[in-house]
Amino acid sequence: MRAVTARVVRALLRPVSRTLPRRALAVGSALGLLLAGTPRLLSSPPDPWLCLSLLRAAALAFGLGLAFLLDDPARHTTAAVPTRRPVRVGLRVALVAPFAVVWWTAALLLVPGETRPPVGAVTLEAAAVAVLALAAAAVAVRCSDVAEPGVAVSAGLLLAVPAGALLLPERWELFVSVTDPRWDGAHDRWAGLLVVAAVLGACSVAEPRQRWRISSLAHR
Amino acid sequence: MTPTVSASGLTLRYGGTVALDDVSLRLTEGVTGLLGPNGAGKTTLLRVLATAVPADRGAFTVLGHDPSTTAGRLDVRRALGYLPQTPGFHQDFSAFAFVDYVAILKELTDRGARHREVRRVLDAVDLSDVRSKRIKRLSGGMRQRVALAAALVGDPGFLVLDEPTVGLDPEQRMRFRELIAQAGEGRTVLLSTHQTEDVAMLCHRVIVMARGGVRFEGTPAELTARAAGRVWSSTERDPGARAGWRTGTGSFRNVGDPPEGADLLDPTLEDGYLLTLDGEPAEVAA
Repeated sequence: MRAVTARVVRALLRPVSRTLPRRALAVGSALGLLLAGTPRLLSSPPDPWLCLSLLRAAALAFGLGLAFLLDDPARHTTAAVPTRRPVRVGLRVALVAPFAVVWWTAALLLVPGETRPPVGAVTLEAAAVAVLALAAAAVAVRCSDVAEPGVAVSAGLLLAVPAGALLLPERWELFVSVTDPRWDGAHDRWAGLLVVAAVLGACSVAEPRQRWRISSLAHR
Repeated sequence: MTPTVSASGLTLRYGGTVALDDVSLRLTEGVTGLLGPNGAGKTTLLRVLATAVPADRGAFTVLGHDPSTTAGRLDVRRALGYLPQTPGFHQDFSAFAFVDYVAILKELTDRGARHREVRRVLDAVDLSDVRSKRIKRLSGGMRQRVALAAALVGDPGFLVLDEPTVGLDPEQRMRFRELIAQAGEGRTVLLSTHQTEDVAMLCHRVIVMARGGVRFEGTPAELTARAAGRVWSSTERDPGARAGWRTGTGSFRNVGDPPEGADLLDPTLEDGYLLTLDGEPAEVAA
């Protein structure tokens, strides 16, 4: 079985790479780099809080592009093939992952060194946003018959992240500054969010042995 | 004839709506037609049998494989070709590349053998000449044939076709009938359709569904026979008829319980279908 899967994955590399949402990823990553590099365009010395906020916005922009990753116009045509969904989704994620790492490195390097936030902590935030975007897309696919949920998921993400920044109670605050005493606590919550999103995404990608009840709401 | 697909007690609810209500059926080799009005549960039944959506209750087997386990579901999918109601494509793929992509997903990993198989199915659906053309440049009928080729690739023993002739012009429909008839030779085909003439021309068995349940299962001749003595001609629409319409000759064709001395006509499969759905909101394509 594993040998078959490995051969299928090898054979799928080329066609699946052709099905990736290149336009959405290109727009998200270009916008992200533009946001991350904005402090270098300013004449005045950049403010650390501004740099952190722009880096967070850059991660969100990239996440919006990632929300299109599971769009599959051929979803219904390929609904009953023996190659399992986790394999197909995993391949898409694996194909994008190196690009995401390179993109994030570039985004970090665009931020002036003296105002760059702690790399580990801010990378955790970016990873959580990326995984959240993918998990939201996976849930949308699992709970509906929609073949291309990218637009709806990215719109939801675009609303949810600023809403989270504005509406979360102080003790659950996620978007704090580096000098804020809640910085470490906030990153414990970011780590928790990352884990929850990863588990939710993994559960959504698994082949359905039974329907999730929410699917009744989304059924055509 | 030994059944190749058996289902018992399939039940599926969407919220308060019963999409499948304790459906049991047995399919044998050849083309079986699935008729029913919109919302009858035809697509849901096909999706369940194609393992695209799990049922809430009930069980079924396809060619001896039980999809209730992970391994069984994969075995069913290896034996299955599925053409959904609204097939989607990667529009920038050529017809060949798309069917090849589906062939890989069906675990045909040997490149040479796979390409031979893709050429075979594209030839079978008469698309060899346009196999390098991008799907977005193909007509609706050609795209439907690409989807059929994708369903046929790997020579599945059970073919599930959900309204494959919708939106096709009469010539394309005729061509599709030929293809489905060919596909039914040596394999089990379940064909959902609104076209009673498709069933009359293609199918050796027919199942009529309404409100999630099976209302009839038998041969097209048996379904037609249900209307024997219940179709009559009159100069005006008979108010007692279940359905009635003016024909091209100016007389009315009525279906239902005829009055005494009525001028009885030979029934068609559509008449039998309408009477089977008596009391149900029937929709028959023109």
